[in-house]
This record gives sequence, C-alpha cells and structure tokens, in this order.
Amino acid sequence: MKNKIIMFWAIVILTIISIAIIKIKPIPLGLDLVGGSRIVLEAQTTENISKITQDMMDGLKTALENRVNALGVSETMVQQMGDRRLLIEIPNVSDPKLAREFLGETAELEFKKPILDENGNTVGWESSGLSGEDLSKAAVGTDSAGRWLITLEFNNKGAAKFAKLTREFKGYPIAIYFNGESISEPVVQQEITAGHAQITGDFTHDGAKKIVDFLNAGALPVPAKIIEENTVGPTLGADSLDKSKFAGIVGLGAVMLFMVFWYRVPGLIADIALIIYSLIVFAIFKMIPVTLTLAGIAGFILSIGMAVDANILIFERTKEELKSGRTLFTAINAGFDRAFTSIFDSNMSTIITCAILYFLGSNIVKGFALTLAIGVMVSMFSAITVTKNFMHLMFGTGQLKHPALFGLKESDINEAYEATETKREKAKFGVLD
Amino acid sequence: MSYSVLNTKKIIDVVKYRWVWLTLSFILLLPGFIAMIWSMKVYPTHSPLLVGIDFTGGTIIQYSLNEDVSTQKIGEIRTKLLAKDIENPVIQVLKPVASDSESAIKNILSIRTQFSETGQNESIDKVSEIITADYPDAQIVQVSSVGPVLGKQLFVNSMIAVALALLGIVIYLTLRFHLEFALVAFFALFHDVLFVIGVFSILGLLYGVHIDSLFVTAILTVLGFSVHDTIVVFDRIRENLKFYSKKASYDDIVNASVNQTLARSINTSLTTLITLGALYFFGGVTTKDFVLVMILGIAIGTYSSIFFASTLVALWNDISIAKKAKAVN
Repeated sequence: MKNKIIMFWAIVILTIISIAIIKIKPIPLGLDLVGGSRIVLEAQTTENISKITQDMMDGLKTALENRVNALGVSETMVQQMGDRRLLIEIPNVSDPKLAREFLGETAELEFKKPILDENGNTVGWESSGLSGEDLSKAAVGTDSAGRWLITLEFNNKGAAKFAKLTREFKGYPIAIYFNGESISEPVVQQEITAGHAQITGDFTHDGAKKIVDFLNAGALPVPAKIIEENTVGPTLGADSLDKSKFAGIVGLGAVMLFMVFWYRVPGLIADIALIIYSLIVFAIFKMIPVTLTLAGIAGFILSIGMAVDANILIFERTKEELKSGRTLFTAINAGFDRAFTSIFDSNMSTIITCAILYFLGSNIVKGFALTLAIGVMVSMFSAITVTKNFMHLMFGTGQLKHPALFGLKESDINEAYEATETKREKAKFGVLD
Repeated sequence: MSYSVLNTKKIIDVVKYRWVWLTLSFILLLPGFIAMIWSMKVYPTHSPLLVGIDFTGGTIIQYSLNEDVSTQKIGEIRTKLLAKDIENPVIQVLKPVASDSESAIKNILSIRTQFSETGQNESIDKVSEIITADYPDAQIVQVSSVGPVLGKQLFVNSMIAVALALLGIVIYLTLRFHLEFALVAFFALFHDVLFVIGVFSILGLLYGVHIDSLFVTAILTVLGFSVHDTIVVFDRIRENLKFYSKKASYDDIVNASVNQTLARSINTSLTTLITLGALYFFGGVTTKDFVLVMILGIAIGTYSSIFFASTLVALWNDISIAKKAKAVN
C-alpha cells in the first residue's frame, strides 16, 4: 500500500509540473491557425547552371532570408528541404501576393553597354560585366524636382568597372536592366570614379522601393521557382482555431460523460486520468516544442480516443473478472494485466504507422504523426499507471460490496471463482505489494 | 452460471452465419467497387478517385463571402473565368459550421484551376477581379497551389507510406501472433480501406469530392485503428486458445472471443466516434473530409474486426483441418 501512496504523490507532482509548463511556455501555432504563407521554392537549372550545388543552395537561402526579412514580419523561416528545395514560412503576411512576387524573382541588375554601328548609333545592348553583384548598397532618393530615383553605391571592384564603363562610353547611352527589362537608359556625361550612380526613371515610390529591396537582398545565385504555396488568411486561421478548440472540448466532455454513464466509479477515475493525460501531453508539446496545426490537433483528439480505449479494455476485463467471482483486488489486477497485451500490441501498431508517416509524409502529415505518437505513448502511462493507482486507492481490497459502483447488477456476480487460472496467475493477481 | 468460453452468452454467432457475414461484406464493398471502376472509365486521369491538386498539381483560391451563391451564379462565374483564359475552373461553395462569433465565415467560394508556372500572380489577380466584381466584400482566405512535378512526387511518397505501413503492421503481427493471423488482419485492413476508398469514389462522382494528402493520412490512421480492433479480438482468441483449446472447439473459441470483446469493441468505437463527430460537426471546414474518412474507417473497422476478421480466422482453420484430413486419407 505504501508504494501506491508514493506513486499517487508522484502523479500529483507530475500533474503540477505539467500545469506549470503549460502556464509558462506559449505553444507555437501553425500557419493554418494564425494565417500566413508557406512557400516551397525549387532551384532551377539553366543553360549555364547544369547542376545545383550545396553552395548555390546556401547562397539562395541567404538571399531569400534577406528578402523575407525585408518584408518586415517576425518569426519567418527559411529552411532547406532535400537537395534543391527551400521551404519558406511567413506568418501574419498581410499581402501574400507581395511575398509571392518577392520570392520568385531572380532580381538581376545588369549594366549593359551599347553596340554601336559605324555611325556611332546604338543598335543593341550587350553585357558590360557590371551587375548587381558589384553593389554594396542601394537606396531610394529624390532628385531636385522631387522625382523618385534609386541611388547605387558600388564596392571597390564595381567602382573600377563603372569607371571603366563610363570612360569608354562617354557621350553614349548605357542601359540598366532589371530582371531582363531595361529600366533606364541614361547618356554618360562624364567618367564617374567615385563609385556612385543614380538610376532615374519613371519610378513610383513603391516601385523604386521594391527594386532597392531586391538589390539590397542580393540576386538569387540560381533562378528559383515556386512549386508549392499555401496561404491561409488570418480570418480563416482564427476561425479554424476557435472551431477546433470548441470541437475538442465538446468531444472530450461527451466522452467523459459516456465513461461515467457506462462504467460509473471506474469511469470517473478514467476521466480524471484523461484530464491528467491531456495536461501531460500538452506540457510535452510545449517542451519539444510541437508547432500545433489543424492536423496536429486532429492527431491529439484522436489520441484521446485511444487513451480511452485502453481504459475501456481494462474495465471491460475487470467487469468480466468480477462477474466470474474474483475478489475486487484480484479482478482489478487481472483486468489490467490481461488487457495489457491488447493495449500494447495495438498501440505498437499505431506507433509503427506514425513513424512511417513521420519519415515519409509531407509537413502537414508529420505534425499529425508526431502528436498522435506522443499521445499514444503518454496514454500507455496514464491509462495504465494512473488509472490503476487510483483504482487501488479507491477500492482497496476485499469484496465488492456495491456492484452498482461498477455498473454491474448483484445477479451478474458469481459466488466463487470459476475461471481457469494457473498457479502463476494466482500469485500474480492475488498478492498485495 | 459461470463466465468462461464454454458458456459465454452468445449475442452474435460469427461462425455459424459466416456466409451471411461474408456476403454482407461483399454487399458493403460492391457499390464502392463499381464506382471505382466507373471512375476509371470516366475520368481523364483513369484514377478510381477524384484526385486533388496535392497529387495532380493545380491552384485553389478560396474567398470568404457573406452571401449565398446560387447554382446559376456559379455557372455565370465559370463562364466569366473561361472568358479570361482561366483553364478548367472548378467552382465549389463550402459551408462552414454556423457559429455566433463575429469572425465566423458564412460561405467559402472555392475556385480550382491549373497551376501556372509563370503567371501565378496574374491568374490569381484575374480570378479575384471577376469575383470582387460580383461580390465586393469577398476576401481571399486561402490560396494553395502545387506544381505538377511535386504533386506526382507527393503521390508516389504517399503510396510508399501506405505500403510500408501495411508491411510494418503485418511483420509486427507475424512476430506477435501467427502468420495466418497477420494475413487475416491484412485482409481485414484491405477490406476497410477498400470500403472507405469506395465511399469516396462515390462521393467524388456525386459531389466532386477530391482526395488530398490529408486523405492518405486519414487512411493510414484508419489502418492503425482498424488493426487495433482486430488485435483485441485476436488477442482474446490467443488467450482462450491457451486455456481452453482442449475443452472447446476452435469455432466455439472464436465465437466466445468475439462475444467477450464485443462490449469493448462497440464502446471504443463509440467514444472515438463521439470525438470525431464533434470534430465533424463543430470543427473547421478544412478538416471535414479528413474526419469523414476516419468516421467511415472506424465504423467499418469495428465491423470487420467482429464479422470479417474472426470469420476468416475460423474459415482458415476449417480449411486447414479439411486439408489435413484429406492428406491423412
């Protein structure tokens, strides 16, 4: 009996710790609940780039991180998936279109020199070798007339290239291309050696700002294409969260009522165990931390079903053992012991499926598998250890005086034990510790 | 009256009426099976189910609306979309559960179209223009798009996941029980999955319900659950065989085991169905189909563990006894 009391206090302490963790740590919510964009980009091979290397991916990641940061939202994430894909998560994005535009463009800035015919007329443009890579900084500014323009500051290498270009083509136009489109074609007035330049064009403030953000973030080392996108508006996210919470509470409440109705006192004990179970599971979610998504919540609610299943198995078995005339104490022990193999085997098969889902599934599926697996593992503890402990403390030893406590009728119970029992089992179920 | 295998109250006789139960299973599976074959003939993809953008690639844009949308209006929107070169638009109106909160969304207009490699923003803008012309208060609540290459990969991965999960379960059961139990459990799982896929095939034909990667997740969960139920019955058969194999016939043991676990099977399914029912009726609109798969799967899983798996176990035993008898003769 002493062991049982120690166990009881251990359970109480564990519960208090769980509540404390739940109170202290916030739970991160997935994009489908808070709203936001989830975008998968894939690096593309081109004529010049036949193979995507890890260096390119690192460069791509840095450039995209810079761009995402320029959006000015917190808790963004850029993460590599596989060999040539990047996953980008932007929570609370107000304009998904902006994000989409921002990520997909390569943002190549190029200065082009004119191809001149014998009369000195410009007949076309060719690369001058000066590009966005030679920039150290770009900014939005205005000229004396108040028009928007872009100021560029070159690094040393860029300044030298720019000086050479302006010296060579003094009096001729040069072209500034952005993403393959000419945005300005100024005529060179004089050689510029200071490493500064201005792009005047027909810019709006937003247009100029966008180009500047792109230039500062850096061009993508390889072109990248959006291959998957999922954007959830904040209203839908809040709606889903509210509804899932409500559904969870209704579901849990209904199950608890059912248990009390069907199993009476043991049902009530199972309900308390279920509350402890929920607290422990949530504490674990927060400690890992598990980002809670809709699928994750579904996994958790499902694991409640499995936790209850374990108790149903045990109680049904205990009832049977009581019916066949065992004493209360041995009936409870036999119920737990004999139901254990079923619980273990069935939970193992669930964990096997969860493991496969976790390693093979997409991100949504991963969240589901993780919460379900944690839930099933904790349920092995709560449904077996916690319930058993409470049952023993509640009922003690001796005969069952009021069968109604178990939802049984007086007439259901046999006088003496009649089931076949091995000696080993007798020792196992009938001895007090 | 004692409570043992020899005189368990027989509520259901699975062994005696086994042909009845097997026929019932057949009747349950038949409509779905026909729907799958029909779908394979009718759909351009030749798939037994309507496959969603997760697996084929495509874009879905969803708008929240405060007013109802008539069928006629849907037709008009489709015509306008087609006029603007939006390829194969599929328009659906989803009705979230009514709720009193102010943030609640009344209607969701969902538009499904092709994935555009280059002009993603442009085509979304085009659609939005058409929608907001008719419904000025419409707001984008969700945009999902998947490229066709990725879609194919997701599909292959999902199939691998299902196959591996089945294999894992069969191996585990072979280790813990016998191979014949594992194989019967496998047939029972197959039975359950076939039923759920069949129902979704019918739903696809009738209401245009598409399956996505959440569907596969739900199927995998159903596998886990259904094998739960089957294991509980098998575990009981295993236990009863240990104690009573000399006193009672195999058929009686199977029958008794099913009846002994009956209350548990029904109660467990009931509690799980209660939580799932709450999710279905009160939960978010995005998880509705997901929950429906599980409700169907758990209901059929309970049925199959009682009527299909145990019937097969008894049948298997009869056949092997008959074979042995033949060999002796």
